[in-house]
Amino acid sequence: MSDAESEPDAGGILVPVGESVTLRNTVAYAVQVAEETDAAVIHFVVPVAWRDFGETSNAERSRSGSLLERVEVWANEDVDGADVSVETAIIGDDEYLFSPDDYAAVLAAYASSNGLDRVVVDPEYSPGGNVPLLRPLEVELVRRGFAVEEAPIGQPTRRQQLLGRGGTAGFGIIFVITFGFYQLLGGFTIVTGDAFDFWYELLTGTITAAVVAGALHRITISGTPHPARTAIRVGRLCLYIPYLVYEIVKSNVLITFIILHPKLPIEPRMTRVQSAVWGGPAITTLANSITLTPGTLTVRSDGHDLYVHALFPAAREGLFDGALERAVRFVFYGRASAAIATPEERGDCEILTETDEEGEV
Amino acid sequence: MNEIRLAAILLLLAGGVFFTFVSAVGVIRLPDVYARAHTASQTDTLGAGFVVLAVVLAYGFDADVIKAVLLLVFIFVTNPTAAHAAARAAYEEGIEPWTEGDERR
Repeated sequence: MSDAESEPDAGGILVPVGESVTLRNTVAYAVQVAEETDAAVIHFVVPVAWRDFGETSNAERSRSGSLLERVEVWANEDVDGADVSVETAIIGDDEYLFSPDDYAAVLAAYASSNGLDRVVVDPEYSPGGNVPLLRPLEVELVRRGFAVEEAPIGQPTRRQQLLGRGGTAGFGIIFVITFGFYQLLGGFTIVTGDAFDFWYELLTGTITAAVVAGALHRITISGTPHPARTAIRVGRLCLYIPYLVYEIVKSNVLITFIILHPKLPIEPRMTRVQSAVWGGPAITTLANSITLTPGTLTVRSDGHDLYVHALFPAAREGLFDGALERAVRFVFYGRASAAIATPEERGDCEILTETDEEGEV
Repeated sequence: MNEIRLAAILLLLAGGVFFTFVSAVGVIRLPDVYARAHTASQTDTLGAGFVVLAVVLAYGFDADVIKAVLLLVFIFVTNPTAAHAAARAAYEEGIEPWTEGDERR
């Protein structure tokens, strides 16, 4: 850091980094830019999206640390004797970063205190997990007067954007669903009523569905719709719901017993389960099912990691046994994927709460 | 037939009220914010579930039943989301979960 402060006029480059498939290319590109613009220093920084939660934070911190070590090795490889120094840092850990604006503010503060005037971003960099933050972050940084550029990557990027491509298929799907829902709320007078009802419901339904589909088809449908696959999933979901209801009833009875028990035999623990489901909808389904089942409560989801509060040992064992997880995998990926090992067998679960007692599981 | 239906409706309503009551007791008895969030979901799952079933029986099987079921679907989607939001906010405030032997909060 002292390098940058001693020669601030030469300028420097700031590269926010995180786990991403294109990180290696981004490092190479940042070094290339540094050589072209005679920048004296490149700072690779990891803006952190957590607060100090003890162990969790330490795990994140060591992960970020090893990421930065890797980046530093790569960068020094690319610099190869040129007059560019490489610095790394973890920033923002005294603040809670949430919006693109927060990230931009932390990055800007770091940049100005180290005399950096240029920002290179990884096109696959996604500090917010599933939330698309990159584009607004770039806009914020430009507004703060930085030269921002994205590292060009040879392979096509699959960036998640708020607006999908939409298209006729997406419009059609939303239109049909909305029209169906409209008729449902109208009590199907379109078929049961007289001629006036038919034309009235048809006209108002069509207008409503067209407006909704026009406004939402690019937001709701991200990616290419797969009607067949979706239909299969909905079918499996219909099998899943009775199972979920059974689980809910079972644990409701158990928790009722516990609440009404004079001694209140609870043993709350915070646990972490690395779930073996992939993609937003599947993780959301799993996390919501866990919360719906009394006795387990999803407190936080961080990529595949679900932080689950379990109220009593039976709930915890059920969670580690992964029955719900298996059922959600069945819904989204079919029967074959349901058979993989439980979180306990995989070693993908742990109890985070520390207790004074010995011999806890 | 009507008597059986009436009895079933009353039984379902009683079940709904019972689980909602237990949930309220739980909110009072349980020690911290996370534990209370567990029992709050009882109201929405079995509490509302039984009452909606009673409504379905009371209306008989017509278009309104679909609306009642839809209501249940929306409750099932929004309840865990709200519980998660509350718990997550507590977690991010750094509130440690209560364990046996701690003071009640």
